[in-house]
Amino acid sequence: MYDGLTHWCGIGLRTQHHGEVLARQPAVGFMEVHSENFFARGGMQRGILEKARALYPLSLHGVGLSLGSTDRLNFVHLGELSRLVRDFKPMLVSEHLAWGSVDGRFMNELLPLPYTEEAVRHTAARVRTVQDVLGRQILMENVSSYLEFNASAMTEWEFLAALAAESGCAILLDLNNVYVNAINHGFDPYQYLNFIPSQAVHEIHLAGHSVHRIGARDVLIDTHGTAVCAAVWELYGAALERFGPVPTLIEWDTNLPALDVLIAETHKINELLRVRRAVAA
Amino acid sequence: MPSLHELQRRFAAALFDEAGAPVSAAIRADGIDPVARLDIYRTQLHAAFERSLALAFPVIERLVGSNCFKSLAREFQAKHRSRSGDLQHIGAPFAAFLHEKFCQSPYAYFSDVAALEWAYQESMTAAAAPAFDLSALQDIDPADYAQLHFEFHPACRLFSSAYPVLDIWRANEGSSAATESIDLASGRARVLLLRPAHVVQFHLLSAASFALLAALADDLTLGAALDAAQNADAAYDLGSALRHFVTLGVLTGATLQELSGNLSASTRPR
Repeated sequence: MYDGLTHWCGIGLRTQHHGEVLARQPAVGFMEVHSENFFARGGMQRGILEKARALYPLSLHGVGLSLGSTDRLNFVHLGELSRLVRDFKPMLVSEHLAWGSVDGRFMNELLPLPYTEEAVRHTAARVRTVQDVLGRQILMENVSSYLEFNASAMTEWEFLAALAAESGCAILLDLNNVYVNAINHGFDPYQYLNFIPSQAVHEIHLAGHSVHRIGARDVLIDTHGTAVCAAVWELYGAALERFGPVPTLIEWDTNLPALDVLIAETHKINELLRVRRAVAA
Repeated sequence: MPSLHELQRRFAAALFDEAGAPVSAAIRADGIDPVARLDIYRTQLHAAFERSLALAFPVIERLVGSNCFKSLAREFQAKHRSRSGDLQHIGAPFAAFLHEKFCQSPYAYFSDVAALEWAYQESMTAAAAPAFDLSALQDIDPADYAQLHFEFHPACRLFSSAYPVLDIWRANEGSSAATESIDLASGRARVLLLRPAHVVQFHLLSAASFALLAALADDLTLGAALDAAQNADAAYDLGSALRHFVTLGVLTGATLQELSGNLSASTRPR
């Protein structure tokens, strides 16, 4: 069912597509789900994941562990994730380089960190704990941000690379988030790409964003609700050159289109990979 | 320069519009007012909370309309902040919140509808359980049956309301037209939720059957539960009732009192 190319292209398994994915079994390389959506001990959700896992490699993508938070690491949450990892043996397990809670209150958002040594040390220690508990390396994803802190003493790409070096985690590089932040904060996304150690990137996310006008400025908001834009596809071409063919996800969460639209997006990845291989040969 | 913890505290306080040391001074303006930058996060925070709450309470959203639901969600979020990284937990106090808000109004039934929706959420995600192993009863002297305690399927929930909540649910679920009119005074609904495989089922119970199961769920003995059932219906047929609830998968095990200390609370429906 999988050839060498489709193996690398994944889609998110979303509720609206559950039945259709299981019935049609589209030729994509892996399925990614939000870990927290499958913490349930039983029932329909878990049953669907069991069926999907029998058909596809799985990627567990967590949104709630809040690894950049200064609260105590939530071992109940981590325990649930650990159970899921044990039961479903995913190909990839990822979390976000962000924080979402303080003093026990959760904002359930991926909030930005200051790019400081303190934040690197703090987050890296927690990533190491998670890796120890899960008994495997995890991937940490760069997030979109709409503000930066005066306290930052390094660039976002230096921060991400430092986290990977200090914790031993791999990187899930979200190219839409790189692009969104490049526009929002005025840096060159290719400089970002070229700084990230090529062996550290184990997965790439591609997604869509929306444009909001605030005063005289455009701010890009990471919505996962539209097709991948041309500039991000261009960035992806450069990422393939630098990182080689790593598992790539078409990430779409809001305004979810028909399954065929997602599959068509994965075909674009295949085409880019095919061209790249033809050139290499 | 504030510590990471202090920065996060100030950031959260700003998002929740609380007084305290401002976070704006810590944010690089770069052409956009830091307050406008925080607003982006604040908007997302509320939208995600509303979306998750609406997913758990589609019937309430339909009853009140989506605009009213949004403002209810905002008020609820201010009083009951999320305590988990998993938004699926936020709905637990929603029925109590609606009760407090509407108990003196014509909308007093909202809280019971919400409680039924939350019971549905809990039932949908509970663990599976093996069927009742009736052979385990063979070692028990029938004379001791009155002392039996029963275990419930983890996905089983019991719910009683003075309002016809199940009729309200069914008139407002999925794509149903919701044009029928329901008499709120049409009588008490005693609902049993269970999930034999993947799909949650609703069963309406008689007063006697509800009394029996509620007593067993309270960890009372079969004898005490039968007394409760017979208070509601003197001619209650215990044998056929037990067979029925075992066949449905409501009851999944039984132990004599002295052995029942190991029953976990999680196997008891609320």
